[in-house]
Amino acid sequence: MKLNITTIKKHVMTGISFMIPVVVASGLCQALGILIGGPGIKEASSGIIWMIYKIGNLGLSTLIVPVICAAISYSICDRPGIAPGLIVGLVCAEIKAGFLGGVVAAFLIGFVVNWMKQNLKLPETMKGMMPILIIPFFSTLICGLLMFTVVGAPITMFMNALTGFLENLSTGSKFVYGAVMGSISGFDFGGPVNKTMSLYSTAMMTEGIYGPKAAHFLAGMTSPFGILVAWCLSKAFKKPIFTNDEKESVKACLPMGVCMITESVIPFAMNDLWRVVLSSVVGSAVGGGLCLIWGVGVPVAHGGLFVVPTFVNPMGFVAALAISSLICGTMIFVLKKRLTEKQIEYGTNYTDAKSDEVAEVNIEF
Amino acid sequence: MKIVGITACPTGIAHTYITKKKILEAAKACGYECRIETQGSIGAEDALTPEEIKAADVVLLAVDVKISGEERFKGKPIVKARTEDVMRNTDKFLQQIELKLRKAGKL
Repeated sequence: MKLNITTIKKHVMTGISFMIPVVVASGLCQALGILIGGPGIKEASSGIIWMIYKIGNLGLSTLIVPVICAAISYSICDRPGIAPGLIVGLVCAEIKAGFLGGVVAAFLIGFVVNWMKQNLKLPETMKGMMPILIIPFFSTLICGLLMFTVVGAPITMFMNALTGFLENLSTGSKFVYGAVMGSISGFDFGGPVNKTMSLYSTAMMTEGIYGPKAAHFLAGMTSPFGILVAWCLSKAFKKPIFTNDEKESVKACLPMGVCMITESVIPFAMNDLWRVVLSSVVGSAVGGGLCLIWGVGVPVAHGGLFVVPTFVNPMGFVAALAISSLICGTMIFVLKKRLTEKQIEYGTNYTDAKSDEVAEVNIEF
Repeated sequence: MKIVGITACPTGIAHTYITKKKILEAAKACGYECRIETQGSIGAEDALTPEEIKAADVVLLAVDVKISGEERFKGKPIVKARTEDVMRNTDKFLQQIELKLRKAGKL
């Protein structure tokens, strides 16, 4: 099993890409239930609204860690990783090792399964036993026990320390903490850096700490709204800053922003990387800091403006979002160069040649 | 040069398709034949056929996550890269591939 930064990242990213639909589906169901039925719906035990709430709640409270664990071990050791991944993921949830536990367990499973694949040689007639009996049983048993005993305990302690630290922050450090989380989330528009923050904030959310998710949520909507603000400013002050291609993409930013799809900003960032990224980071940092000071909490993983009523201090969130979007948009507007007519038509690369940097090509024959 | 390839990114809604578009544009500009399969969060789209894979000179995997069906490319020259590497300067990236294939006598 080859492990380096690239492969580890790929495995964890696979985990996240499998996790996202689970988080979104169950998060939205839970939010919808709370939205219609009010917070009291949690205590109910019947009715269609409660069912909607419960569908989401079951997904969020039991499935997230097993799914990310199974998906990472699937990435490492293919199909045989799924069964132990799901079961050991449940163990992680049981011992409150959370996400981090799930990720560590997945690598453990990957190691054990790959070792078994390579080193256990059965006679030809019994080969079928490997994938249906031996690998799933022993890998689950070994890794499950390891998580319960030696590996799980330090992770649980670390998670507890982390949640304790977050609960006891002072106001000043709250702002800094929120700003850091906001800027990480606003850095690459749904790319790996943003997804790392997504992982962390969702982990905190399942522990009942809603601040990090607020910063992450806000950053996801700041950049698309920021583009809209910049577009309005460019109209108002007659400073052309977007190419014709980009103007097409601006139209998508409103619905995308409302739905918290930060990827809609990628086309702009690709054309003008540092100005767009810097604006997004600064806007999201301020907004994230404000969210934490104002005690905004986001108990759902996704859903854009539609789920704002389920937040703790929803008005605080809206105010922070407005401020962050204005900052982001104003910065884009000010930083971006006035475009010539040729550039508007043919793109910003019309004059300034792009860097000739090419990634290294490795061919496996 | 005939290229087949797969694109896939973690979220599976944006980079996957942007990368595909970039590769197809660059291939057209450079005069290569190219077919790209996307493995976004919706699953595989524009799936490559066995004939297309057989006819290809090189397989370009622009992927950030684990993809399915990698065993289809057994025995083919494979280029693995991250989507961001392929997106950045796609035409030069493809030309590099051609250059290296020629050097290795595979073209």
